[in-house]
Amino acid sequence: MAEDVYKPGNLLTSLKRHAAAIATGLRYLLSTKRMTVRYPEFLIDLGEGYRGMIRWRRERCISCGLCAQICPAAAMKMYKLPGEKKMFPGINYQRCIFCGFCVDVCPAFALEHTPVHDLSYEELDEMIYIPERFDTEWVSPALKEGARPVKVVFDEEVGLRHEPK
Amino acid sequence: MTTGTIGRIVDFVLSPHIFAPLIYPGLLAATLVLLTLIWAERKMTAKVQLRYGPLYVLKPLGGAIQLIADAIKFMFQEPIMPRNADKWVFALAPVAMMAFTIIPFAFIPAAPGFVGVDVEYSLPLVLSLSALIPPLILATSWAANNKFTLLGGVREAFMMVAYEVSLFIAAFAVASYYGTLSLSKIVEAQSVPGIILNPIAAGVFFVTMLMTASKLPYDIVEGEQEIVAGPFTEYSGILYMLVMGASYMELYVLSLVFVELFLGGWKPVIPALASIHPAFEGISLFIKAYLVLLFAVFLRSVYARYRLDQALEIGWKKLFPLALLSVIWSLALLLVAGGA
Ligand code: SF4
Ligand code: SF4
Repeated sequence: MAEDVYKPGNLLTSLKRHAAAIATGLRYLLSTKRMTVRYPEFLIDLGEGYRGMIRWRRERCISCGLCAQICPAAAMKMYKLPGEKKMFPGINYQRCIFCGFCVDVCPAFALEHTPVHDLSYEELDEMIYIPERFDTEWVSPALKEGARPVKVVFDEEVGLRHEPK
Repeated sequence: MTTGTIGRIVDFVLSPHIFAPLIYPGLLAATLVLLTLIWAERKMTAKVQLRYGPLYVLKPLGGAIQLIADAIKFMFQEPIMPRNADKWVFALAPVAMMAFTIIPFAFIPAAPGFVGVDVEYSLPLVLSLSALIPPLILATSWAANNKFTLLGGVREAFMMVAYEVSLFIAAFAVASYYGTLSLSKIVEAQSVPGIILNPIAAGVFFVTMLMTASKLPYDIVEGEQEIVAGPFTEYSGILYMLVMGASYMELYVLSLVFVELFLGGWKPVIPALASIHPAFEGISLFIKAYLVLLFAVFLRSVYARYRLDQALEIGWKKLFPLALLSVIWSLALLLVAGGA
């Protein structure tokens, strides 16, 4: 270990070190290893535990309001729907920090995380989901366009590898 | 009559004092260098970092025209003028900066006997023209009236004193060996490449060249991660294109000088190309300069940025003595060899 500690050298040793650094760079330049996932064509499959967009199921919701109460970012809010006595939650993705508190606190399992995370919006208003819009299935736009899902594998040589799933 | 006029215009454009600064090796060639070099830089850095780099603009060629797309974007972007800026200086300094990177092309010989304006003192002239750019950078940083630009300007002022002296001394070490300050005479006199004769001067010149153009590891002035873009923080649109282009142009100018001082300039001459235009005879100069440029931008992926104090220390405690040593080396060579 002690040999690895950096010691400032004289002119010759530092020249040698520079040469070594440049050689390492050149070696990487000539290798064909790549870690990038070419996103719209491939999509990393994030699996179950990922905290992405939140799915709400209206038929399960008991309108307890706990989700709105616990939300630390004030993203979840209760809305009154026309013709309904109960209030239902809606979410504002301008504020949501994907902490998952709402999912954890929901006593009726009406909220859950999905692995979908790659959405973009043209207008800020689109990011607010009132209960009518909230109760829909999330789909990754890339997957809809035909992206191939890949999974991440740790690799001794490259670091990360992506294998088709 | 029209053919006569057109002929005269063509002759005028092809005459060295127009052709050299505006077409080759000047503006047009430099634009080409700029467009391909920045792409190559991004591509090489990406490769070293296990990424792809620009890819989707003209995918079969690996995103080769990404820079054209970027240039078009900059052209149509709104150039924003900060309310508290000194408007005239803010707008004109980038233009002047670009101008001072183009003027040197008139004095850099591109082929045997082909130079825009033949002056006996082309070496100090070219170097001092590019030395006019740092004050302009200072002017932009002051004019933009913003804390980041000001910090960048102060850094530029410090850096300027760190590299300028060593750059000039290293160049003059070579000049003193050949006993002339004219670039074309230096190239003609070079039978052995200068980098073998005086490797110290070559090393010092190369490092100070990186410092001048603020390329990594010396992009302290711009220092993207700490001070946004240094003196250029407030620029957008076409003005930003000018200031960004100017630093690459400066690197291109200096690498041409580097090749003429240390790598044998336009030798070997390719006479076959002279039939297109006499300037292309010296295409080796361009190719060598391009390789030097590629190496210079490749270093971006190898090094991390130095701190300002480290760069100053390198400038004054390492490069300056080495530059002086290179002068002594040259004089010693003169004594031993009895003149070139
Ligand atoms: S994930 Fe967190 S921030 Fe987002 S709505 Fe739920 S509680 Fe609020
Ligand atoms: S916590 Fe669950 S059940 Fe209660 S209002 Fe929110 S979504 Fe409905």
